Amino acid sequence: MDPQIFITLGGWLGWLGIILLPLFILPLITLIIPAVIGSYSEQLVQLIQKITHGALMVCMVATLALLALQLLVVIAGYAFGLSWTWLSEAVMYAFACMFMIGAAVALRDNAHVRVDILRPRFGPHGRDWIELAGLYLFLFPICIRILTTGDQGLTRAWMIFEGSRESDGLPLMFLFKTLVPVFAVLMLSQGLAEALKAALRLTGLRPDIEHTQSGGDTYGA
Amino acid sequence: MELEIILALLMFAAAIGGLLAGYPVALTLGGVALLFALVGIGLGVFPEPHLLALPSRIHGGSVMQNDKLIPVPLFILMGVILERSRIAEDLLHIASRLLGKLRGGLGFAVILVGALLAASTGIVGATVITMTLIALPSMLRQNYNPRLASGTIAASGTLGQIVPPSIVLILLADAVSNAANRAATEMGPGTSFVVSVGDLFAGALLPGLLLVGLYMAYVAMTALLRPQDCPPVKDDGSDPLTLQEILFGLGAPLFLILAVLGSMLGGIASPTQAAAIGAAGALMLAGLRLSDGEFGIWQKLIVGAFFSIVFIVAAKNLLDLRMGVETIHPVNMVAIVLTLIASVIFLAGVFAGGYILHQKTQLVSALKSAVEITSMVFLILIGASLFSLVFRGFGGDDLVHDMLAVTPGGKWGALIIAMLVMFLLGFFLDFIEIVFVVVPLVTPPLIIAGFDPVWLGILMALNLQTSFLTPPFGFALFYLRGAAPDELKTLDIWRGALPFIGLQILMILMVATFPALATWLPSLTR
Repeated sequence: MDPQIFITLGGWLGWLGIILLPLFILPLITLIIPAVIGSYSEQLVQLIQKITHGALMVCMVATLALLALQLLVVIAGYAFGLSWTWLSEAVMYAFACMFMIGAAVALRDNAHVRVDILRPRFGPHGRDWIELAGLYLFLFPICIRILTTGDQGLTRAWMIFEGSRESDGLPLMFLFKTLVPVFAVLMLSQGLAEALKAALRLTGLRPDIEHTQSGGDTYGA
Repeated sequence: MELEIILALLMFAAAIGGLLAGYPVALTLGGVALLFALVGIGLGVFPEPHLLALPSRIHGGSVMQNDKLIPVPLFILMGVILERSRIAEDLLHIASRLLGKLRGGLGFAVILVGALLAASTGIVGATVITMTLIALPSMLRQNYNPRLASGTIAASGTLGQIVPPSIVLILLADAVSNAANRAATEMGPGTSFVVSVGDLFAGALLPGLLLVGLYMAYVAMTALLRPQDCPPVKDDGSDPLTLQEILFGLGAPLFLILAVLGSMLGGIASPTQAAAIGAAGALMLAGLRLSDGEFGIWQKLIVGAFFSIVFIVAAKNLLDLRMGVETIHPVNMVAIVLTLIASVIFLAGVFAGGYILHQKTQLVSALKSAVEITSMVFLILIGASLFSLVFRGFGGDDLVHDMLAVTPGGKWGALIIAMLVMFLLGFFLDFIEIVFVVVPLVTPPLIIAGFDPVWLGILMALNLQTSFLTPPFGFALFYLRGAAPDELKTLDIWRGALPFIGLQILMILMVATFPALATWLPSLTR
């Protein structure tokens, strides 16, 4: 297939991203005129969380695939003395999928560890403001930086449909590398949902959440 | 002072400020680093190409293609499955019923189960909370001294970090091995260090077991000197445990742990392979545990799968099963076919375990937890690698190097300073963040000064484990406080931890004085 099609598509996706950029002001507008815009913000949150839920499904499949493929590697290698590069690479692909796509899910479920020493004392509104500051100062810049610096290398990978370095590897390195912008886009969209949720809580349109130990039911490692 | 040094120090301060504000650690580290890098580029003191490499660093060999870290999600999966299927809980119930009649018996049970859970799940928070919810109430009901009870639980919970196959040791091995490579390049040709996950596991085994011994000795001493602190359990008239309960509840997890650890330390399996077997075994055990006899055929499949493992191992060691060779002897051909069938039964058994877990509505939640814990760990890896990248770009590593070089007391002075810094950071950072941020900075100079990398890794692990036990900020104590009843005073939790901190320090000093404790086993497996 002609790689030029995908390059053009990628260019359009880039423009789509730029067109969607104003959405990132929405949480701030929600803070100013909650009555007018609040219900739209809530709908957007629901939509984004649906996408993130889809990402969770992908991750669960990746987790099962990681286990199943690695078991195949173990049996084939241990009992029959066989090994295939493509199988080991498939294990690595499943492994990378799990956390590159899962990071946004963990963001939604507040599973990323936080330092909990002063946090309980800030009160619900203080925590919401910190959330907004963190999103705009840290999360959004990181993801936008990843998206903008990664496009040249990615274009090259798609131009030649870059495969594995090994001859019997998976010919899908260009898709593997595409996980990086996918990660950034998922984190941006879920980050937007988090910002909207914080704004809706600050304006009283969503109930405040009680302080809980971060990590949800995961308790760190 | 030069501008870039000031920026590097400001960046560190800003990161600590951001962390204390309570925003997720991974994003704070990465975000602060990015902002300072942009300021640095604006002021002309930061080389921009450093930052352009960010996406390729993520999909390169340090994160997404880092096959040394593949065991991490598999061990996490294994731990979550054992927890969700209540196998961990059974273990504690059975151990405390078996040992409870002794003076201090519940204490022994908590320590032993803590060590077993550490070796199977390796997740400190989960272990502490499970034990606090189950063991603490019964210890308090039996009139245990609350300090002794809470101290034992918190300390046993932190064993998860030091007893292999601990997840943090895998991450630490990766960081130490990178640091060792960096040190080797600086020391010039001819020097090379090999630090594998297996080395750290082997190195941590003796100190981990000795710690378990020290904890037990402490409880035994208390039982002798202050018997009122840990009275034996009065007979509550409940049915005695059946042999089957003991065999399955205690034997099965023990067997799984020994298989995973043994194959890894014996050099038969790589950590990744052992982790896959461990997760598969956990899935099968969970299926048996939750089946309650209503999944006839599925249960039989799991039992069959266990037998087929035995068959595969026997056939592999008795006959030549290699399929790649030129001519295959007819006997071997038959064995190959039979082994293939056994492999299919094994995989079917693993599937059956997953199916039963799914029918009991535990599979999805277990997978979700595994995904989220894994994502949490690896997002920290990404954020922390951005942080170290920028810190290095400002020449921060030279700064650390120089600071360690001018500390009084030579290389031991430098080691003590590095350990103290890690200990203090352990109060508000998780083990994972310290491994990804601090270890890469302080370890290369220490290795160049002549310390053994594996020994350093074990000392750091013991040090951080102690830090998590130390009031007022120790993580284990937070988890315990969160799950304990309100009647238990926070001050009692803190006082209870003190004797165990003493034991930890004793252990650190022992490893420091007798490096062989950490380096002897790894040297055997090499």
